[in-house]
Amino acid sequence: MKKKTLFAAIILSIYSFGALAQGASEILKKTDDVMYAPKDQKASVKIILKDKKGNMQEREASYIQIGSEMRLFKFTAPASQAGIAFLSLPGDVMYLYLPAYEKERRIASHVKNQTFAGTDFSYDDMESKPLGDEYNPELISQDAETWKLKLIPKDPAGSDYGRIEITVGKDNNYLRSADYFDRGGQKIKQMVNTTIEKVDGYWTATEIEMTDLAKGHSTVFKTLGLSFDNNLTAEDFTVREMKK
Amino acid sequence: MKTFVKPFILLILIGGFFRAYAQETPFRLYGELYFDNRVRLENGQWSWNENRLDLQLDKKFADKAKFHSQVWLRSFGYPFLYSAEQLFDKDETSPYNLDIREAYVELYGVFTKNLDMKIGRQRIAWGTGDKLNPTDNVNSYDLEDIWDFGRHLGSDAIRLKYYYKDFFLEADYILYFRPASLPRGDWAAGLFNPMELPPPLYIVSMEDSLAMPALNLKENSSYALKAGGLAGGFNFSLSYLYGRDGLPVNYFNRIMPVDTNGGVYLESKLFFPRQQVIGADLAGAVGSVGVWAEASLFVPEDEIILTNDLTGIGMPVVDSVILENKPWFKYLAGFDYTFRGGHYVNFQYLHGFVHERGQENLNDYFVINYEKYLFNDKLKVRPLTAAFVVSDWKELTENYALVYMPFLTFIPNDNTEISIGVRLIAGEGDDVFAQYKDKDEFVFSLKYRF
Repeated sequence: MKKKTLFAAIILSIYSFGALAQGASEILKKTDDVMYAPKDQKASVKIILKDKKGNMQEREASYIQIGSEMRLFKFTAPASQAGIAFLSLPGDVMYLYLPAYEKERRIASHVKNQTFAGTDFSYDDMESKPLGDEYNPELISQDAETWKLKLIPKDPAGSDYGRIEITVGKDNNYLRSADYFDRGGQKIKQMVNTTIEKVDGYWTATEIEMTDLAKGHSTVFKTLGLSFDNNLTAEDFTVREMKK
Repeated sequence: MKTFVKPFILLILIGGFFRAYAQETPFRLYGELYFDNRVRLENGQWSWNENRLDLQLDKKFADKAKFHSQVWLRSFGYPFLYSAEQLFDKDETSPYNLDIREAYVELYGVFTKNLDMKIGRQRIAWGTGDKLNPTDNVNSYDLEDIWDFGRHLGSDAIRLKYYYKDFFLEADYILYFRPASLPRGDWAAGLFNPMELPPPLYIVSMEDSLAMPALNLKENSSYALKAGGLAGGFNFSLSYLYGRDGLPVNYFNRIMPVDTNGGVYLESKLFFPRQQVIGADLAGAVGSVGVWAEASLFVPEDEIILTNDLTGIGMPVVDSVILENKPWFKYLAGFDYTFRGGHYVNFQYLHGFVHERGQENLNDYFVINYEKYLFNDKLKVRPLTAAFVVSDWKELTENYALVYMPFLTFIPNDNTEISIGVRLIAGEGDDVFAQYKDKDEFVFSLKYRF
């Protein structure tokens, strides 16, 4: 009898684990679907860097993006950054354009774990690939308003993070926050989508704050003039366009 | 009348073009202030004083055209004053210089949406290497500051570039030849081998003359073609240039005695030989390591013979071949990688520096750079920036140069960079850097961008 009970408990727990895992995958898929619903997007951003003493620096940029793999990011201010452009294409093809050198420079994926232009985002964070492509999810907990998922990298060696814990809103399936942990399990970064609103019928974060907990340094991305479905094509994501 | 009408019509056409694209953005004026001062460690003498105002002006006309100009206004060097009379002349007491680096108009989508045209003084930057580019030969070198690798002069040119998907075809026509600028001060000596005279002869005075190419299309102009694209994850290109070597070649010397102690007067003649350059480059990644390579085959138009007229000192005229009519091959390969924690390493191997000609005269250069940003990117340290040069592998200890250039850069705000560093040079032999071995220096520079 005891054996039967134990067997039933194991079966039940396996079933429950499976159900949770499936639930987590569905939640993550819906989150990715919501976040990558627009065909393309175009925006200008104000980037505010804050150090632990409260000193602030501002940068301005504009970007265009199709899906998750084509993005052209151009700095417009301050003077030291203006004109610097970063083009990301499928297959890890990335270019950096520095106006002082008057030519593009191909950059390899070793930069991915580096900070992007002095911000607290890494190049990898900036790539904004669907989370489901890179992580296996587990549902940790939930309350009336949110789900909390643990994301484990599918390719641990290729990721800077040991895991990410994300919070997703039940009302709109949009990512509310993410905590990044290193391979030793220490929380190293925290990202909060501080303003989430509907623009052109799509849920989107118009203000994001990323904090590097070790440095006590944070970066706020404020999106201005955001528009979706602009009929951008692959021709807008070329070295030619990057240098214009 | 005709000479008046032509420019007038041209002005109307240009004005009409810009009015047609009246969705213009405002002029954007930007640039930087740059102060660069260097002092020799051996004797404490100032060796460099550059105060540069770099002004750049951009104006975009919708997505159809762009105007760009870059001008350097500089107070350079030290006044050479030897007479009180010079104190009345501000050009003498405050030497300055104006340099139009670029001034061009770029038109996008000319005739067809895939064709861009760029007209005016421009930098045509080729190559995938990091500041060392054997394929970058359309513009002549600007070697004024020998340590500013990769700096070139702008050329007055017309460039057409046609894009198709991931590929491009470029054609450049360089209207006028501009010789390279040579290093200032005593840095120039490293680029040219001194003339050796048998004792007791020594040079008391010298004069040289440059044979500039005739001011016509055939002699003064150059053209270049380049095609490339992205295939298999690698960017690649093939190029061809029919141009001139921007560094002059000595083809005639005449020696005349001026005293009875062996003192002589040297008269030299130099010219800029025609050459063809066939090049190829690529850039991409192997795993997550960035890799790049370049190669250029330099094909001289003729053999170059140096005539030494020694009849003035009772010796015959001696002709010697200083450059055979044989191609030579310069190449470069490099990689870079960023380790966890932001430790960036860049390594390059170069065969053949900018001034070297002839296959047997090409030296090997190994260049490494390690850098790391600290304190929220406020400090950039470059403790290991170095170059090792070998001019003869068989007698390495007599033919090498080692240049060590550690630098610290403080970045107090986004627009300001203050750098200090040293250049320590050791070497033997006739390589350009080995000849700088007594020129160790301390460097202080400030850059403010606006």
